[in-house]
Amino acid sequence: MQKNGPVALLFHALVVAFVLAPLVVICLVAFTPENTLTMPTTAFSLRWFRAVFEHPDFVTAFGNSLWLATIAASISVAIAVPAGLAIDRYRFPGRDALNGLFLSPLIIPHLVLGVAFLRLFALIGATGSFAWLVLSHVIIVTPYVLRLVLAALSGLDRSAEQAAMTLGASRFTVFRRVTAPMILPGISGGWLIAFINSFDELTMSIFVTSPATVTLPVRMYMYATESIDPMMAAVSALMIALTALAMLALDRVFGLDKILVGEK
Amino acid sequence: MGFLTLEGVSKVYGGLAAVRDVDLAVARGEFVSLLGPSGCGKTTTLQMIAGLVEPTGGRIGLDGRDITREKPNRRGLGVVFQSYALFPHMTVAENVAFGLEMRKVPRAERDRRVAEMLALVHLANLAERYPRQLSGGQRQRVAIARALVIAPPVLLLDEPLSNLDAKLREEMQFELRRIQRSVGTTTIMVTHDQAEALSISDRVVVMEAGRMTQIDAPYRLYEQPATAFISTFVGKMNRLAGVWRDGGVAVAGTVLASAPADVAAGAAVTASIRPEKLHLRPMGEGRLAGRVASRFFLGGHWLLTVGTEAGDILVSVPNTGEEPAREGEPVGLDWAPASLRVEADAGAAA
Repeated sequence: MQKNGPVALLFHALVVAFVLAPLVVICLVAFTPENTLTMPTTAFSLRWFRAVFEHPDFVTAFGNSLWLATIAASISVAIAVPAGLAIDRYRFPGRDALNGLFLSPLIIPHLVLGVAFLRLFALIGATGSFAWLVLSHVIIVTPYVLRLVLAALSGLDRSAEQAAMTLGASRFTVFRRVTAPMILPGISGGWLIAFINSFDELTMSIFVTSPATVTLPVRMYMYATESIDPMMAAVSALMIALTALAMLALDRVFGLDKILVGEK
Repeated sequence: MGFLTLEGVSKVYGGLAAVRDVDLAVARGEFVSLLGPSGCGKTTTLQMIAGLVEPTGGRIGLDGRDITREKPNRRGLGVVFQSYALFPHMTVAENVAFGLEMRKVPRAERDRRVAEMLALVHLANLAERYPRQLSGGQRQRVAIARALVIAPPVLLLDEPLSNLDAKLREEMQFELRRIQRSVGTTTIMVTHDQAEALSISDRVVVMEAGRMTQIDAPYRLYEQPATAFISTFVGKMNRLAGVWRDGGVAVAGTVLASAPADVAAGAAVTASIRPEKLHLRPMGEGRLAGRVASRFFLGGHWLLTVGTEAGDILVSVPNTGEEPAREGEPVGLDWAPASLRVEADAGAAA
């Protein structure tokens, strides 16, 4: 491990502080008893958290987001794992094109995607459909899963698969019993990052959600355009907590550095 | 008629022949090593037998059955990989049981056979460990147990000992031979280590640039190497270029006594003799005079380089408790004429 000099350490500390400070402030403000976003707060209160749960539209939006993110992440895993296997293992015509296609949603601004989907859904009469909302989310989160699956596959010792084959396993059994368990950290990491991305997505969702399928970020955005009060901070704190818990769980089970950096 | 036969087996990768026209017949219960430097095609040959690489030509037969195009999971051969290729997410017992599970062997029998096999490789007490909790030698034995538990007709070993340190490697050579003897499985091992090949095989197959150049018992391979490459790859060899004259080899004016050879007088020949076939004598005695240029102590023996009129010659002196001549001291060299082999140089003789 290379040692960092004091200047580099200071720089890293500043970067971390710069990233974390807003999150910490939001979480602190969420516990204020005041009527406005105040910092520093005078006392500790759960008043604004109670307020969140007294808004049924927020609770519904939270449920929508949870469902949407769960389904979208699961479908993207179901797409990215076979796609990753094909891209990693085989050299076929159109392989680079396929790889590029799967990663292209990363390059296109969500705003552009949102407008495009809005137009598409209007044309095919799918406006307000939850299924089509899921589809749009699958498209934007699949690249993340694919990246992690490809990273996991490239670090895989293929001789274990060959060993399973010589022991009598069919191709599918090899995948089920050997390949899949060995790349499970990459798959679960991919699922979680897809989940978080879908759960947090705002820009595109503004265009493709309808009153019935409104997601939490969209609901927050709509609320914030009318009024700013500490309830926004409380909702944000809840979202931060949910994300942090998920990452913590993933780190406990597989180790984040192993999934994201590819370290053994 | 061999139990496992390779007939004209070849593998061409994009115009480059990795294995060329290989013929081999292995008898039931035999331990055969494929020996050669890296890139000689020995691993490719093994993978073709295992079914992991498809041959571009030739035929592979097992017990009278043509298995050339059979899928690896139908061949039922035991394979031990260089990296061991254990399943990291399964315990030792689960790893070993995998092949039996694939064969739908009932639970009770499976457990019994796994336990038997783990006892054979001395791992009975580690059955519930995961591969990452084992040492290199233990992983190695798990890999062997996993390959053997399915009672394969042939066991294929790909450089099984190359990842172990020297001491452990030696122990595992004996261990491997003991296990193979007690189970009686026909075994083919790929290795680049000539000492390993000589010590545990019934027969050794030497491969050079995709071809098999000699197939012989270890002793014969060592004593009668078929090619110049084999003579230096398997053990050490002094090779001296000279001319056949007066029933000996003339090298730089000195005639060295040799085994009789069917060579025309005056033909260019190469004389070869193993370092341990040469004996150190006091100055003035022996067949050739020289001076010790360097001396290495290797425990069981000393390795001396003796400078002579015929060139530098390696001499191995067994450690009998007495120090041989020091560097710079004049010595004489002696040998039994029969141990100096003579071969006509290609093109020069005919």
